[in-house]
Amino acid sequence: MNKLLLLLGVMIFTLSGSVYAQKMVSGQVLEEDSNQPIPEVSVLVKGTSKGAITDFDGNFAIKDVDANSILVFSYMGFITQEITVGDQSVISIALMADENKLDEVVVTALNIERDKASLGYSVAQIDAAEVNIVKDNNVMNSLTGKVSGLQITQANTGVDGSSRILLRGITTISGSNRPLVVIDGIPVGGGSSGASQWGGTDGGDALSDINPDDVASISVLKGAGASAAYGSLGMNGVIIITTKTGERKGGIGVSLSSSFTVTDIMLSPDLQNEYGTGAFDQHAPIGPDGRPVRDYPFSWSWGPKMEGQEYTNWLGEKDTFSPQPDPFKEFYQMGTNSTNTIAFQGASEKNSFRLSITDQNSQGIVPNNTLKKQTYNLRASSNLTDRFSVDGRVSYIRAKVKNRPELAEGPSNTSLQLSLMAPDVRLEDLKNNTVDANGNELNPLNDPTYVNPYWALDNVYNEDLKDRIQGVVSAKFDVNEHLLFTGKSGMDYIIRDGVSHAARGARAISEGLGNYSHSTSKSTIWNSDILGTYKTSVVGIGINASLGANYRSEFGSSIGVSGKDEKTPDFYRISNYKNSYSSDYSWKKNVYSFYGLAELSYGGFFYFDATLRNDNSSALPSDNNSYWYHSENASLLFTKLFGINSKTFNMGKLRASYATVGNDTGPYRTQSVYNVNQTPTLDYSVASIPGSLPAVDLKPEHSESWEVGMELGFFNNRINLDVTYYETLTTDQIMAVPISGTSGFSSKVVNAGSIKNTGIEASLNLIPVQTDNFRWDMGLNYTQSTSMVESLNEGLESIVLGSNKNAGVTVEARPGEEFGSIYGVDFKRDNFGRILVSDYGTISKGEITNFGSVTPDFYGGITNNFKYKNISLRTTISGQYGGVFYSHGRGYRMFFGTDQRSLEGRVGGIVYDGINENTGAPNTVAIPALNKQLSEVFSNQIVTNMMLDATNVRIKEIVLTYNFPKRMMQNSPIQSLSVSAIGTNLFFIYNAAGDIDPEAGYSSGTSGTYMEVGSLPSTRSYGLNFNINF
Amino acid sequence: MKNIKYILRNTLTIFILGILFISCESSLDDAYDNPNAVTEIDDAALFTNAVRSLVLQTAGASSEFAGQYAHYYVEGSTARRPDQYFDNFDGTYSRMYNGFYGGVIKHIEDVMVITTTEGTRNEVRYAMANVISVMGFAVITDAFGEIPYTEGGKGKTEGIITPKYDTQEFIYKDMIERLGESISTLKIADPAKGYPGSDPLFNNDLDKWVRLANSVRLRLGMRLRLADNTLSKQVVAQCLNEPLMEDPTHDASMIQTEGSGNSWYLRKIGYPLVKMSEMMIDQLVNTSDPRLSVFVAKNKEDEYAGQLNGLNDIAFGVSKYESKSNMGDAISSAESLHYIMTAAEVWFLRAEAALAYDGDSAKANELYRMGIKTSLDQWEVDGVDIVNFLASETTTLTGTTNEMEEQIGIQMWVGITPNYFESWSHVRRTGYPIIAERTAAKLDRGVTKGIMPKRFLYPNAELSANGTNVDEAIERQGVNKIDTPVWWDKN
Repeated sequence: MNKLLLLLGVMIFTLSGSVYAQKMVSGQVLEEDSNQPIPEVSVLVKGTSKGAITDFDGNFAIKDVDANSILVFSYMGFITQEITVGDQSVISIALMADENKLDEVVVTALNIERDKASLGYSVAQIDAAEVNIVKDNNVMNSLTGKVSGLQITQANTGVDGSSRILLRGITTISGSNRPLVVIDGIPVGGGSSGASQWGGTDGGDALSDINPDDVASISVLKGAGASAAYGSLGMNGVIIITTKTGERKGGIGVSLSSSFTVTDIMLSPDLQNEYGTGAFDQHAPIGPDGRPVRDYPFSWSWGPKMEGQEYTNWLGEKDTFSPQPDPFKEFYQMGTNSTNTIAFQGASEKNSFRLSITDQNSQGIVPNNTLKKQTYNLRASSNLTDRFSVDGRVSYIRAKVKNRPELAEGPSNTSLQLSLMAPDVRLEDLKNNTVDANGNELNPLNDPTYVNPYWALDNVYNEDLKDRIQGVVSAKFDVNEHLLFTGKSGMDYIIRDGVSHAARGARAISEGLGNYSHSTSKSTIWNSDILGTYKTSVVGIGINASLGANYRSEFGSSIGVSGKDEKTPDFYRISNYKNSYSSDYSWKKNVYSFYGLAELSYGGFFYFDATLRNDNSSALPSDNNSYWYHSENASLLFTKLFGINSKTFNMGKLRASYATVGNDTGPYRTQSVYNVNQTPTLDYSVASIPGSLPAVDLKPEHSESWEVGMELGFFNNRINLDVTYYETLTTDQIMAVPISGTSGFSSKVVNAGSIKNTGIEASLNLIPVQTDNFRWDMGLNYTQSTSMVESLNEGLESIVLGSNKNAGVTVEARPGEEFGSIYGVDFKRDNFGRILVSDYGTISKGEITNFGSVTPDFYGGITNNFKYKNISLRTTISGQYGGVFYSHGRGYRMFFGTDQRSLEGRVGGIVYDGINENTGAPNTVAIPALNKQLSEVFSNQIVTNMMLDATNVRIKEIVLTYNFPKRMMQNSPIQSLSVSAIGTNLFFIYNAAGDIDPEAGYSSGTSGTYMEVGSLPSTRSYGLNFNINF
Repeated sequence: MKNIKYILRNTLTIFILGILFISCESSLDDAYDNPNAVTEIDDAALFTNAVRSLVLQTAGASSEFAGQYAHYYVEGSTARRPDQYFDNFDGTYSRMYNGFYGGVIKHIEDVMVITTTEGTRNEVRYAMANVISVMGFAVITDAFGEIPYTEGGKGKTEGIITPKYDTQEFIYKDMIERLGESISTLKIADPAKGYPGSDPLFNNDLDKWVRLANSVRLRLGMRLRLADNTLSKQVVAQCLNEPLMEDPTHDASMIQTEGSGNSWYLRKIGYPLVKMSEMMIDQLVNTSDPRLSVFVAKNKEDEYAGQLNGLNDIAFGVSKYESKSNMGDAISSAESLHYIMTAAEVWFLRAEAALAYDGDSAKANELYRMGIKTSLDQWEVDGVDIVNFLASETTTLTGTTNEMEEQIGIQMWVGITPNYFESWSHVRRTGYPIIAERTAAKLDRGVTKGIMPKRFLYPNAELSANGTNVDEAIERQGVNKIDTPVWWDKN
C-alpha cells in the first residue's frame, strides 16, 4: 500500500504554461501510405487537457492555441507525432503506421479494444493477412505454428475435415477442451468431429464456416483471466474474430480476391513391392472355383518374390507375377480448390457497409469427394445520431459436401484397402472387376472388413448440406462522456441435412443388405448482452466500470430415418428398406448471467482489472444452478515506472492474472427417466432406463487458474519477448465416470476428478534486418504444456478415453499420470528390460505398459516474413517434440506383409534381439518373418513396435506476394493489386514416424490423435492468390 | 416534482429488473425437463425389456465364446481367437457383463421395486419378474463365478454403485428358493394380474410360467450335483412334484422380429464367417441323426464339411475354412427362434437324475428317449425319420453308468442346440461330450494349456471401478483366469 502511495506521489504532474497570443488551428490527418483520412485521432495541446478528435474526414480544429504550443497527434497503432504550432494556422500531417507495435491495440473479451500494454494476461492478435491470402477451409488451420499456446492438429479426413484445437492443453477429462469462438461479439457453436475406430466420416467443423476473406482480425485470449467475462463458455480460452467493416473509398469500393490451389499427396505409407500374394513363400493354393484360396494368410503378401513368373491371379486368370505401381499414387487424384470473393464496400460520415460473396469449390484427392460452399456476408453500421449508433451483420453460409471419405477400420476406407492389397494386384483389375457373377462385391482379400475401393466409390455415398445463418445487431448509446450503453443480440442458426447410403452386395457393409439414412437437424444459439460502462478519473486513477447482463439460449431438434435391407436396387428412399427406424430428439438449455467489470489505470504504467460474473443454468438442479466466478488481472510497465526509456531496453512489463471459473454441463443430466423404445414389429411396448445414472445433486464444476508473464522490448521493439507461466486446476468436473457395470449402469454423472494443467509459453519476435527497402521479421513461439491427472472419482483407477479393442490399446486418464497416456501390451521382458525369447525363437506377451502420452513435450513454430520493396515472402514452420501415437495401420501392414519394413528377414528369418528365457544367453534362433509378424502383432497383440514418436517439423506455409506498385495503376480504376504464390503443408523437415503423419488421426476429439488407422495420405496444397481493389 | 420523477424512474427500473429476473428463473425451469423421455412408466414395458434382453443377451454371450468352447462351430478371422483358448477379450467380457446387468438385471430390478411399492403392488407380476431375475443372474454367475447378486443392478433403486460380490454357493441357494416362491405364487395366480399383452415368452400363460420356473429350478438343482449333492437331490425331488416343461409348446423361446432378425442370421450373412465344427458334424453323421440337415448346411460342393476346432494360425491358413459348412437354416434364418429353456433339456436332466439319484437305468432310458423325441419334435423332423432314429442304437442307453451318463451328456449337447451358452455349462459340469485336451502340434493351446476354458474374466473396467469388492471375490474364488473353475464346476 505504501508503495502504491509512493507511486501516486511520483506521478502527480504539475502543470505550467505561459500566456501568449492565441489563435484557432485546424487541419487534416492522413495515413502516410494510403493518403486516406484517419478519423478519431487525438490532437492534444501538449501539457494541457485542451484538444480535439479528428472527424470522419480526418479534420480537426482547436480554438485558442498559443503559437509556442506543441500539438500531439496520437492514434493507436500509429507513431505519435508532435508539431510546434508556430505561426501556422492550418496543420496537415501524415501519420505513419507503427509496425514495431509499440502500442498495440488488441481486441479483448466482449470485443473491447484495449492497449495490449494494459492487459494482465496473455493475448495474441493475428492480422487478417495471415488468413486472407492462404484461404484454408478452416481459418484455424492458418494459425498453426503462429501462436504460442495454440495447438492445431488437422486430421486427414478429406475436404471439409475438422481440426483438433487446443489452447493451453487439456483441462477437463470429458469436456471438449476446445476454445470458445466469438464472431463479432457473439459466441458461435463449434465442436469436434470425426470417425470412430470402426469407421465413419468426419462431419466437419463449425469453424470452417468462417470465411477467411471476411476476417479483419483474430484475437486469441489464452487464459481464464482473459476470458472470464464470457463465463463458463470461456473456460478453455477464447478466439475472437472480428469481421471486416466498410471502409471509406472513393465511391463504392470493390475488392476481388481469387485463389486456386491444387492438392496432392505429401506422405503415404512405404509399401514393399518385391513379394506378392501368398504365404510361406508360396503362391496361394487354387480353390475349387479356379481362383486362389483367399483365406489368410494366403491372401496376404508373404508369397514368392515377384519375378515376372507365371501364376494365377486373384481373378483366376493366368498372369505374370510382377510388381505394380504404387496404388496410392494411382488411385488418388490431384485435388483442387478455388475460392473467389467479391466484396463491395463504402462508407460515409454516418454509415458504412460491406457486402461480400464468396464461392468455394473443392475437390479432394478421393475422386468423388467435393465441397461447394457459398458465403454471403453483409455488415452495415450507422451513426444515427452523434450519440447513438447501430451495427449489424448477417451471414448466410451454404455448404454442400459429397462423399466425405470413410475412415479408420470402416469397410469403405479406400486407404486401408489399398495399403493391405498385395503388390501384384493391378488397380486396373480391381476397377474392372468390382462385382462377381451374382452382383456381389468382389475383392482380392477374404477378410471382408474391407471392400473393393472402386466398388466403394460407385456404391457407397454420402452427402450433407448445411445452411447456416448468423445475425448480430448491436447498438451503442453514448449518454455522455462518462456513460455508455451497448446492447447486442445475435443468433447462430444451423440446419443440416444429411443422406448416406450403401448398395446391397458388400458383406462388410450392413451384412450385404444395403443401408440408408437421412436426418435433419436444426440448432440455434441465441445470445443477448446488455452492458453499461461508466468512465471517470479520480485523482489520476482512470476508472472504467461496467455492469452487464447476458441471456443465452441453445435449442434445437433433430429427426431422422434409417433403413436396412434394400428392396430394389438404385433407389434411395426410406420406403425401399425392409427394416426402418426413425429418431426424434429435441433439446434446450438456457443460461442467464450478470456481470461486472472494472478497469483501473494509473499513470500509464499500472493497470488493474477485475471481473465478477454470475451464471444461472437450466442444466443444473434448480436449487444449485447458480455459480459465481471472478478474475483479477494486473499489468505493470516497469520501464515507464522507473523512467527507463532507452532504445536498447524500451519496454518492460510484468503481468499477473488470477481467475476462478465455473461451468455447467449439457442439458438433462440430472433427471432420472425412462426412454420408450422404438419397436415397430412388436405388439407390446418396451421401455428402457438410460445407461448413465443421473446426478440429482450435481453442482457446477470449478476451475482455478493463474498466470504470470513478462514482456520485454529491446532496440525499439526490434526484439520483443513475451513469456508466460500458467497453471490451471480443474476440480469437481462434471463427467460421466465409469462405474461398475454390475450396478446396471455403465457410468454415473458426478462431480469428480482433478486435472492440473501447467505450462510455459514464450514468443520472441525479432526484426533482424530493417532498411528502407528490406525488412525481415521473425517470430518464434514455444509452448510446453502438461496436464496431470491428480485424481479421478474415489476408488476409480482409470478412465479410458479411447480404445482399440482389436489391439488392446487404450488411451487413459490415470491419477498421477499425464492425461492421455497410451497403454498396450509389451513384450515379455526380464528385470533388465531384455526381451525374453523361447528356445524356438518366439516371444510372448508381457505386461500392459504405459508407452507415453499424446501430449508433446513442447510444440511451436517459426515464422519468417521478408519484405523487399513490393515483394514479400512469408514462411511458417511448425513442429512438436515428443508425444506418442499408436499406428494400427502399420500393425496391419506388418502382418499383411505389405509394409516396406516387412521385407526384413524374408530370407533367412528374423532373430529377436533378446535373451533366451531358459538360458539367459543372447537369442540366436531365427524364425520366419511371417511367423514373427503373425505372432507378435496378430496373435499376441504386442504393440511396442507400433508405438511411434510424434516428433515432427514441417513447412506449414509459404507465401510469396508481389504488390504491384501504385504508379503502375495510376491511370486505372485499380487501387491495389497483389498476387501471391502460396503453399501449405509442403513437406516434413523431420518426421520421426517416417511414412506416417502423426496428425493423421481420424478424429479431432481431445485424445483423437492417439491412434492412426489406415489414414488417408497427408496432402499438400499450392497455388496462386490474387487480390484486386477498385 | 423532480423527486417524484426520480422515484418513478427507480421504481420502474426495479420493476423491470424484477420481471427480468423472474422470467429468467422461469426460463430455466422450462428448459429443465427432458422432453425426450418420461419419468414414470407402467412396469410392463420394463418387464418386456428385461425378458427380451435375457433372450438376446443369452444368444449374444453364448455366440461370442460358449459355442466355440463347446465345439459347435468355429468363427473366422480374429473372432476365432476364443476357439484358440486365448483370453484377451476384455471388451467382450465387459460387453457381456454390462449387457446382462444393464439389460436384464437393471430393468427387472426396477420392475421388482415398482411391484412391491404401495399403489403399484402386484405379487403376480413380482413372481414373474423373479423368474427372469433368477435366469439372468444364473447366466452371469455360470459365466463368471462370484458376482454381485444381492447388491447387483441396484444403481438406481438403491444407489449402489460398488456392489459387493456373493459366493456362487449363496447365489444358487437363494435363486432356488426364489424360484420356489414364484412357483407357489403363480400356481394360484389370477392371470389378469400378470402381463396380459406384454409377455414375449408365453403370452401370459401362467401355467407355462410355472413350468418354466420349475424347469429352471431343476436345471439349477442338477448343477449342484457335485458341489452340494444333498441339496441337489432335495431340489430335484421338489421339482418332480411340480409341473415341468414336457413338450415343445412349453419351450421358452422368442423370435426376434426387430432389426434384421436372429443373431445367427446376422453372423451368417455378415462378418466374420461362422462354420460348423467337425466334432458336431461327425456326431450327427456317425449316428445318422436326422437333425444333421437341421443344424448344418451343405457347403458349395454339396457336402457336410466341418472345421476342426483349435487350429493354430498357420494350420488354419491351409484348412480351407471358407469352404466349410455353415449353420443350418433352421437355426440361422432371420426368423429362427432363440431358446432359453426347452422341454428336451428337461427330459435329459430328468434322465440324468433318474440314473444318478434313483439308480433307475430303465427310467433313465425312458426319459432319455423322451428327450430325443422331444428334440426331434422341436425341430419338426419328419415322422418317419423320428421312428427310424428312435430305433437306432444311439437312442437307447447301454453299458455302465458312466457310459450311460456320457450318452445322456452327448444327446443333451446335441439337443440343446442352439442354446450354446447353457451347453457350455453342461459340458463343464458333466464333462460330456469329452472335449479332449489339445496336444497336437497344429492346435493352439492358448492360455489354458489346451483345456477348455472354464469361465470368463472379470473385465478390467470392473477391476478398476469396483476393485475392492472384486478383489475379495478373486481371493475366495481363485485367480481371475479363464481356467479357474466356478464353484459348482467340480468335474
